Amino acid sequence: MTDAPVSTLVTATGIEPVLEPASTSPAPDRKARKKAAKVPRRKITWDRVWAQRALLAMAVPLLMYQILFKYVPVYGWAIAFQDYKPGRGNIWNQKWVGFENFADLFTGVNGERFRRVVINTLGQSILTLVVGTLGAIVLALLLNEVKNMPFKRVMQNITYMPHFLSWVIVASLASVALSLPSSGGFINQGLMSLGLINHPVLFLTEPNNFWGIVAGTSLWKELGWNTILYLAAITAIDPSLYEAAEVDGAGRYRKMFNITLPGIRPTIVVLLIINSGWILSTNFELPYFLGNGLISERAETIDVFVLRYGYQLGNYSLAVVAGIFKTIVAIILVGSANLAAKRLNQETLV
Amino acid sequence: MIPEGDLADKSGTLTPSNPTTLTTWITTAEQAPAADNKLTKLLKDQLGVTLKYEIVTPDNVDQKIGVMLAGGEYPDLIGTTDLKMRLLEGGALERLDDMLDTGDYPNLAEYVKDDIKKMSYSGDEVDKGLYIFPNYNRFYGEPTGGVYYGPAFWIQKRVLADAGYPDLNNMTLDRYFELIANYKAKNPQTEGAPTVGFEVLASTGREWGMTNPPALLAGSPNNGGVIVDDKNHAEIYADKDIAKDFYKVLNQQYKAGLVDPESFTLTYDQYTAKVATGAVLGMHDQGWDFQTATQSLQSAGKDEYTYVPLMPVYEGAKPWYADRPVMNTNQGFGISVSSKQKEKALKFLDLMISEPWQKVLSWGIAGEDYQVGDDGMFTRTEEQRANYKDITWRASNRLTALLDVLPKHNGQFSDGNAYSPDDQPAEFYATLTDYDRGVMEKYGKKTWLEFMNPQPENPKYYPAWNIGLSDDANQVNQQLTDANVQNLPKIIAGDPSQFDANWKAYVDAIHKIDVKVYEDAINAGIKDRLANW
Repeated sequence: MTDAPVSTLVTATGIEPVLEPASTSPAPDRKARKKAAKVPRRKITWDRVWAQRALLAMAVPLLMYQILFKYVPVYGWAIAFQDYKPGRGNIWNQKWVGFENFADLFTGVNGERFRRVVINTLGQSILTLVVGTLGAIVLALLLNEVKNMPFKRVMQNITYMPHFLSWVIVASLASVALSLPSSGGFINQGLMSLGLINHPVLFLTEPNNFWGIVAGTSLWKELGWNTILYLAAITAIDPSLYEAAEVDGAGRYRKMFNITLPGIRPTIVVLLIINSGWILSTNFELPYFLGNGLISERAETIDVFVLRYGYQLGNYSLAVVAGIFKTIVAIILVGSANLAAKRLNQETLV
Repeated sequence: MIPEGDLADKSGTLTPSNPTTLTTWITTAEQAPAADNKLTKLLKDQLGVTLKYEIVTPDNVDQKIGVMLAGGEYPDLIGTTDLKMRLLEGGALERLDDMLDTGDYPNLAEYVKDDIKKMSYSGDEVDKGLYIFPNYNRFYGEPTGGVYYGPAFWIQKRVLADAGYPDLNNMTLDRYFELIANYKAKNPQTEGAPTVGFEVLASTGREWGMTNPPALLAGSPNNGGVIVDDKNHAEIYADKDIAKDFYKVLNQQYKAGLVDPESFTLTYDQYTAKVATGAVLGMHDQGWDFQTATQSLQSAGKDEYTYVPLMPVYEGAKPWYADRPVMNTNQGFGISVSSKQKEKALKFLDLMISEPWQKVLSWGIAGEDYQVGDDGMFTRTEEQRANYKDITWRASNRLTALLDVLPKHNGQFSDGNAYSPDDQPAEFYATLTDYDRGVMEKYGKKTWLEFMNPQPENPKYYPAWNIGLSDDANQVNQQLTDANVQNLPKIIAGDPSQFDANWKAYVDAIHKIDVKVYEDAINAGIKDRLANW
């Protein structure tokens, strides 16, 4: 195996730019970079394929996995066009109804409800994503500045422990925390002893609180975990950059804003692009466990709705229609995030 | 080799020398048996049967059913309580008519003989026929019993005691809340926790705690979401004046601080836990639904925190809270299509409904858990009675989870004993604590059931709440339920000045739904029953 193909591969995955500052000046010239990115692709020839045969062979199992578990099951989408009943035998032994299920989901009482759950899903996910990303970046920057290693380790451990709790547990913790003081609601207790409120607040009965509760709870659970990736990206920044900046008289904040942040920018962008694909698929557990009738107008998400009107009523066809909708929207979201990143001259997934 | 005694399987299908393991899936709120359970051992010794349980609580069953259907692999025995009949219509259950016709299952044949039409599936998704043995209220002889398990506005005994045991006849909502208000004013704390006036049961799957009262208040028996008139025509009542009047009262009582503001965020478990603390003075619920709370209060010796059923009605209405026990059709055990030992599984059910096994499951072991008197009647000692109520003891000595879903010999055995100790009139009165007997004496009653209305013959179609619905009707029903769950808490907890606006928003939400699909389905079901039952 020669060196050349390996380095090409690394470039293709977008890791290379993180390493790049080592070989260029601290503030790379934009034009120069753009030019570098536009190196014409080498033609794929049989010789090259043969030269990379080991790598390609290694990729085959993964490709098979993708085809078997991601593409083959798509035949199940047929259910969306059927009045599907498990008792009738296999999937081709069903009654075909055309677009009836689509009309059922997107119009009338269900349609109104579905629009609302899409908005809730987007709202909760985006808020969670923004709050989570900002929180993780800030914590990573702060931890990076901590010079006392034992303290840093302890902090990191404490903040990422909640990641290993299941959502069921986190949801019940949240529900107790947000309840009345007589039921153990320590948030109310705290706010009252600080004199910020006079009467306990029933947080879980006010619809407008709910997106915030979801984002806050997710932040608590995932903050430390999300930080790990950013901390790893920070360690990859060439120390000589910091030394050079120090020679130039840069202080702590200068270094943070002009070296650390730009250094992890590619990681941030890639993570955002990846996460944008999940926007419609996250947020099942919290809305499911914490939602109730009073707040369902803001709490109910696509997955909760699909569970209740699809699986629980035995209406699998409706569930599949919603699944198709989610897939299409996810592809559009990832595509546009990728495109946006490209426009902004950032590193992209493809 | 077939063991001696009347518990053994004389047909030789299930014998200890030829051990059988039956996988058993059960929906129940009852607990799983402990590892050292003595009846588990008895099953093994007498029949060679080992049951491998999977117990799912009613709250978690919806997901579980979906997954099972998708997988298509089922345990031998399926104990379902799903009123939407998803396992049945999904093809998970075996049609049993032909197997019963072989004559190898005499006890089950006797069980279904008179009511085969009621017990059979009559829809179009799978072949018509018998799939499930109803688990409750197929009566042998006359119903007896002292405990009331049906719907009521419940009130704690301490409230009645404090009010000097007031007359409970001609109860109204106003008088009910007045009793609660007076007591709460005098006793704002219960064992260190704030006293709760009235709890609304509104958790998912049990919204009927919040939605059923209007019909009962109007003197209609429990038909679920509809009222059925004299001409057997069903109509929803959620948007009618009888409902508006009830929620107006709740709204006022909420403002007055009697209705628990946490009602609408409590899950069923949290609700049960709250009732079990003894701090809740009253609620509308069905007796069986908070039985675990009652049992835990009883085993803690706190009888004054347990409840008496009341029947408030609107002016001019006659209470019809208590009905004649209704057979639990579509709920109970069936045999799965994927079972490799259907004959054995069915034989097991057949033996379980035989009188000797029913006595074991319900009363226990003669001489250990009860005595047989010279007159053949069963009696128990104080210790045996205490055991029967003790949750830990039950786990090791009874099979409550299994029994909950098994077909039962409700009514009487052929020797005149009642099906269970709770139904044995002499036993019932003897097991009452002094406190409870005192309460009854004040009102000149001998059972809790006597606090309720006398039960007229049920209408032929009754009850409408267990009519199987088509997919469309199910969806409309779900939409109606959601409209209730989303709007009623707002109406109840809202500012009284906003009541009319909130009510209008609710009625508008209902009228957007295609209610007629649901009503038509119910009416078709009623017609079908009138013609066929």
